[in-house]
Amino acid sequence: MKHVERLKSDLIAGGKRAPMRILSASGQIGYGLPLDSLAQGFARKPHLVGADMGSVDPGPAYLGTGTMGPSLTGAKADLGRVLEGSRALDIPMIVGSAGTGGAKPQLDSTAAMIRELAREKGLHFRLATIAADMPKSMVSDAVRRGRVRPIGGMTPLTEADVASADVIVGQMGSEAFQRALAAGADVIIAGRACDTAIYAALPGMLGYPMGPTMHMAKIVECASLCCVPGGRDAMLGTLEDEGFVLESMNPERRATPMSVAAHSLYEQDNPYEVFEPDGVLRVNDANYVAVDARRTRVSGATWTPARQHTVKIEGATRLGERCVLLCATADPRVIEGLDTIVPAVDRNVRSMLPPEAVDYTVHVRRYGIDGVIDWPTPPTVMPREVFLLLEFVAPTMAMAKTACTMTKQYLLHHGFPGRLSTSGNLAFPFTPPEVEAGTAFRFSIYHIMDVAALAPLFPVTVEDL
Amino acid sequence: MKLIDVARVIRSKNAGPVTLSFDLMFEDEAHYRHAIQSPALSVGAIARLYGVDPQRVRVYPYPVAFAIKIAIDRKVVAGTPGDRDVYGAQQHGPLLEIEL
Repeated sequence: MKHVERLKSDLIAGGKRAPMRILSASGQIGYGLPLDSLAQGFARKPHLVGADMGSVDPGPAYLGTGTMGPSLTGAKADLGRVLEGSRALDIPMIVGSAGTGGAKPQLDSTAAMIRELAREKGLHFRLATIAADMPKSMVSDAVRRGRVRPIGGMTPLTEADVASADVIVGQMGSEAFQRALAAGADVIIAGRACDTAIYAALPGMLGYPMGPTMHMAKIVECASLCCVPGGRDAMLGTLEDEGFVLESMNPERRATPMSVAAHSLYEQDNPYEVFEPDGVLRVNDANYVAVDARRTRVSGATWTPARQHTVKIEGATRLGERCVLLCATADPRVIEGLDTIVPAVDRNVRSMLPPEAVDYTVHVRRYGIDGVIDWPTPPTVMPREVFLLLEFVAPTMAMAKTACTMTKQYLLHHGFPGRLSTSGNLAFPFTPPEVEAGTAFRFSIYHIMDVAALAPLFPVTVEDL
Repeated sequence: MKLIDVARVIRSKNAGPVTLSFDLMFEDEAHYRHAIQSPALSVGAIARLYGVDPQRVRVYPYPVAFAIKIAIDRKVVAGTPGDRDVYGAQQHGPLLEIEL
C-alpha cells in the first residue's frame, strides 16, 4: 500500500486533489522506445509510469501459441528502460497485457525478464503479477447459465467452442491493478488487461473523479498518437481536480483540441462510449481547450458504474498447420482467366490426392485484383501483373505442404483455351515457393461474460526481488 | 464532389477483431456538414458499397472533430485463414471514389 498511502498524503489535502502526473511510456512496449522523450517524461517526475504491451490487433496466433509479437531482445530492452526510470523515482510501474496475448506463457516470460533485469541492474522492489487466464470450466458454466453473449458478428458461444479453445483469457479492469497496488507492488506485470486500467487504477484509489480519469487513460494509453503529428513518444497526462492536461514528451508533437478530440475515434466502434468491466465512459459532453500550442485541457467526460460486472473474454483455437505458395503472373490471358483457372486446378488436385489428404482448406489472394479488399465488383481494367498468395491449412504440415506443392505444379502448367504462355503460367520469386508458415489459429471467443465478482478471476501474486 | 477531394483523413482499422471502423475527418465545419448530409454516406449506401447487410453498418456523426465514424461488422474475423487484412488498415479503398 506504500505508494497509495504516500500519494494520498502528497496529493490530497483538505478535500482538494493536487495535479497528478501520469506518464505513458509506450502504447506497444517491445518495439523500441524513443529515448529522448522517455527521458523527458521521467524528468517531469511523474507519480506513475505505465505501458501497454498487448492487443488482439495482431491476430490470434500470439494468443494461440503463447509467443510475443516483439522480439525478446526488444521487449527486455524496453522493459529495462521503464524499470530503471521508475525505480530511480520510486514510483509504481504498470505494464498491461504482457507479451502481446496476456496469457500465462506470455505473462511468465515477461515476469522472467523483469526478474533478470532486477538481478542485472541490482534493483530491489516488490513485483506483482496478475494472471488473466480463464478456466474452461468456469467459462463453460457461464455459457450454460446464459451469462455469455457475442460481440459484433460473433456467433453465440457453445460449450463445444470452449472445450476446443486452446487458450482463453479475460480482460482485467482497474480492480485487479488496485489489489496489486494495495499489496504494496512497485512493479505490476499484468496478463490481458484493459489498456485504460493501467492508468486509471491508481488515480481511482486516490479519489480522482472517474470520468476524466478514464478519459485520460483512454487517450494516453496510445502514447503520443493523439498529437499532430502523431507518434510513439511518451505522453504525459496531468490529472487535475476536474479534468486533465495532455502533453507529448516530444516537443515536435502537439496535443491540440482537435487532435485530442479526434483520438476518441481511433479503433473504436462508437466514439462516444467506452465499456469497461466496471462501468461505461461517455465523452459526449467532453470539452477540449488549448492550454498553449502543445497542450490541451480536457474535462466533462462522465463515468457510470456498471450494475453488472462483465469481462471481455478472448479465445484462440488451433485450426491446423499453414503452408503458403508465393507466385505471380504477368500474362493477360492467365489474369483474365483466374476466376476459372484456380478453381479448376483445385478440383484437379483434390481428385488426385488420396482421400485422407484432401482434408485441407485453400484461400487465394489475388494481389492487383482483390487481394486486400473483398470488392463488390471486379476492376474495370485488369492489372498488368498479379501476385498470387495461396494459403493452405491442414491438420499436419506434411498435408498442407503436399496440397501446396501439387497445386503449384498444376497451376504452373494448367492448360486452358487461348493460352499463350504454354511453357508456364507463373513466375516464382524464389524456390522453393512453398513456405511453411506455422500454426493457423482463429479467434473462436470474443464475447462478454457476466460475472458475480471480478477479483477471483484475476489472482495477484507478489514477490520481493 | 468526391470524398477523397474534401476529406483530410480517410482511414480504416479494426475496432476489435470483429469490427472494421472507418474515420472520415474534414478540414472544417463546412466540409463536414456537406459530407454528413450526403446520402452517399448513409447506412444503406455504405452497406451496398461494402456488400454487407445494412444491419451490420453503423454511422456516427462526430462534429467535435469534424469527423464521421463508420463501423461495419467484419465478414471474416481478423486473422482467421482467408482474412485479407488482419489489422483492417487498408479497407478504406471503396470510400475514396464516393460522390457526395
